[in-house]
Amino acid sequence: MRTHAIPAMSRKGGKAVRGAAAVAVTLALALSATACGGDGSDSGSEGSGKGKIVFWDNNGGPRTAIWKQIIAKFEKKYPDIEVEYVPIPIADVQSKYDTAIQGGGDSLPDMGGVGTAYLANLVAQDALEPVADRIQDSPLKGKLVKNMVDSVRSAGGDDKEMFSVPTSANQGTLWYRTDLFQAKGLDAPTSWDNFYKAAEELTDKGGNEFGFTLRGGAGSIAQAMEMMYAQSGITTFWDGDKTTLDDPRNVAALEKYVGLYKKVTPAADLNNDFTKMVAQFDQGDIGMLQHNLGSYTDHLKAFGKDKIAGVPMPPSADGQPRTIVSNPVDGLGLFKASENKAAAWKFIEFAASAEMNSLWNQDVGAIPANVDAADDAWIKQAPPTKAALESLSDPRTKVVQLPYYLPDWNTISKADNEPDFQKVLLGKMTAKEFCDKVADELDKAQADWKKHN
Amino acid sequence: MTTALAEKGLAPAPAAAPDADRRGKRGRGLDDGVPRRQIYLPLALYLLFTLIPFYWMLLFALRPAGSTSLVPWPMTGEHFAKVWNERSFGTFFQNSMIVGVSSLVMTTVVALAGGYALARFDFRIKKGFMLALLASQFIPGALMLVPLFEIFKNLQMINSLGSVVIAETVFQLPLSMILISGFIRNVPVSLEEQAWVDGCGRFRAFCAVVLPLLRPGLIAVGSFAFVHSWNHFLFALMFLSSQDKQTIPVGLNTLIGADSVDLGALAAGGVIAAVPVVIVFAFIQKWLITGFSAGAVKG
Repeated sequence: MRTHAIPAMSRKGGKAVRGAAAVAVTLALALSATACGGDGSDSGSEGSGKGKIVFWDNNGGPRTAIWKQIIAKFEKKYPDIEVEYVPIPIADVQSKYDTAIQGGGDSLPDMGGVGTAYLANLVAQDALEPVADRIQDSPLKGKLVKNMVDSVRSAGGDDKEMFSVPTSANQGTLWYRTDLFQAKGLDAPTSWDNFYKAAEELTDKGGNEFGFTLRGGAGSIAQAMEMMYAQSGITTFWDGDKTTLDDPRNVAALEKYVGLYKKVTPAADLNNDFTKMVAQFDQGDIGMLQHNLGSYTDHLKAFGKDKIAGVPMPPSADGQPRTIVSNPVDGLGLFKASENKAAAWKFIEFAASAEMNSLWNQDVGAIPANVDAADDAWIKQAPPTKAALESLSDPRTKVVQLPYYLPDWNTISKADNEPDFQKVLLGKMTAKEFCDKVADELDKAQADWKKHN
Repeated sequence: MTTALAEKGLAPAPAAAPDADRRGKRGRGLDDGVPRRQIYLPLALYLLFTLIPFYWMLLFALRPAGSTSLVPWPMTGEHFAKVWNERSFGTFFQNSMIVGVSSLVMTTVVALAGGYALARFDFRIKKGFMLALLASQFIPGALMLVPLFEIFKNLQMINSLGSVVIAETVFQLPLSMILISGFIRNVPVSLEEQAWVDGCGRFRAFCAVVLPLLRPGLIAVGSFAFVHSWNHFLFALMFLSSQDKQTIPVGLNTLIGADSVDLGALAAGGVIAAVPVVIVFAFIQKWLITGFSAGAVKG
């Protein structure tokens, strides 16, 4: 292609390129210098308590309508405050927060939805304002469900300070098709014996009917842990500095659980994330599903109220207390960098009040965090939610607090080990090998975390 | 050559030639002797494999919520109305169109200038520059996210569609420039020289002589720039922070909740997102193939 070049232009071009290169290098250096990032810990200020505040919804989309309703009520009550609502897709909310924090923090919202699954990450980056003192001085004092407060404290990392105001919790539920159970004369899966018996009796592979569908793809390990601790009855995640995940009772429970795969479940379950799993249950002839309360509305749409029911995870044995793993608790966080914390806090108080909290949880099908919302009529009319709330509020119930505070928790409990869980389902790895591997990684992560905290 | 092939028994016998011609006229020039079903059956299976997901999307988008029917009947527009009106897809569509068209224009214009320089000029660091362009293709967008965020913040461009347009353009430029330079090299420089002799300047000669010949290449590069920007999620998610600025891919992701998915709405959103891309490819298919074969093979 040299033949196409024109010598005179080449010389001019050479000078131009050298000049352009110098400008480019200077620009790159200047831009690199500005791109040092931040930690989101800008102190912000209380502000005037008036004006515009920005709210990021951490599960934007499904909750947009109800948040807009609550915001409208808030703005009616506080006409001098304007709330800008920003829906963020749930799968990317952590990245969105992280990028804004690394970008200096002043792009963060005034307040936002914060789940316990990534609360520790935000706390570690010093992005959130502690809220325990604010709660003490507000009408929310003594009005938040204790188990949720404990989960938020635990997820924050130090078990003392609170970095979000809990608004709702979810809970693992065994959903079952009452019409199929009645047709076979089966009892509700309120015990593990009932559960395993029903799973077998509802299966007719030739007729494409299955007793159960499990989650073998994304999110599989969290659900497996729920099944393991509920069956084993082990009440704590840590025994000293070692996790109880590889306790022989948990290993035995996992063996029993994965033994269901292909025996009473579709083979396609291997790649099920929650979307496929719920869609499969709602579209087909499957007797039972283990998923949280969040899919209740989908089941109601698919089957109607008379054909679907849900019960909390059964106790390990008759007469024993339930052992449930801590499902992520959703809450509202106040960001340190906010220049109008007074107004943002007013919004958080308002959204967590009994009336708004009840309204919100009724819409999303979750358990309200405000104790005054527990007796509302809608809960009585939603038996699965009522049963979950009762089990969560039962003083005998043991909540196994998962270590959401570990920086590596999401990696260990998701991407790093989900392929191994699929190997267990396929029989290429034993349940014990899987538990030992994950437990070893968790023990190391815990030791590392303790060293730095 | 025919003799050589005949010696190896590969050339058609002279008597068979007219028959071969006739078959060739029926569109079987290259598949002489191959039964049609051996060509069309795999193609049909492949087409089926490709179209089933689209059918599934249309099925969920058009049938009522809760229906398990395998045909979209009775048909409903409720999901489309929901995403368009309640979930602001009308606004998202408009924003995506602005980002897509702006990226298309900027990428094409800058790639034309850069591609022309690469094709027609010779300079000392040209090879290194080409290598750098190629190497830039290995840098994932996510790696540049925080620096870009910081830069746009300092330029007061966070939450502006301009930031997404610039980021998309920058990331698409290297490949576009390489492609365009390939197309330009295929235009003989003597054509330009004739225009210069007739009194045209370089720019006018380029516009009058080279540009019209680049149409297939420009369409290929422009369409890829549009489709890539239309579909790209990451920059729009990170740089835009108000609902009235968000784009279709971000809107689609908000239809997937933490614990539940409105499949009907998601499918309807998917159809809305797919329509412009399908239309673009339907109109430019002919030029796209010509463009890529011209740029890639002969470049």
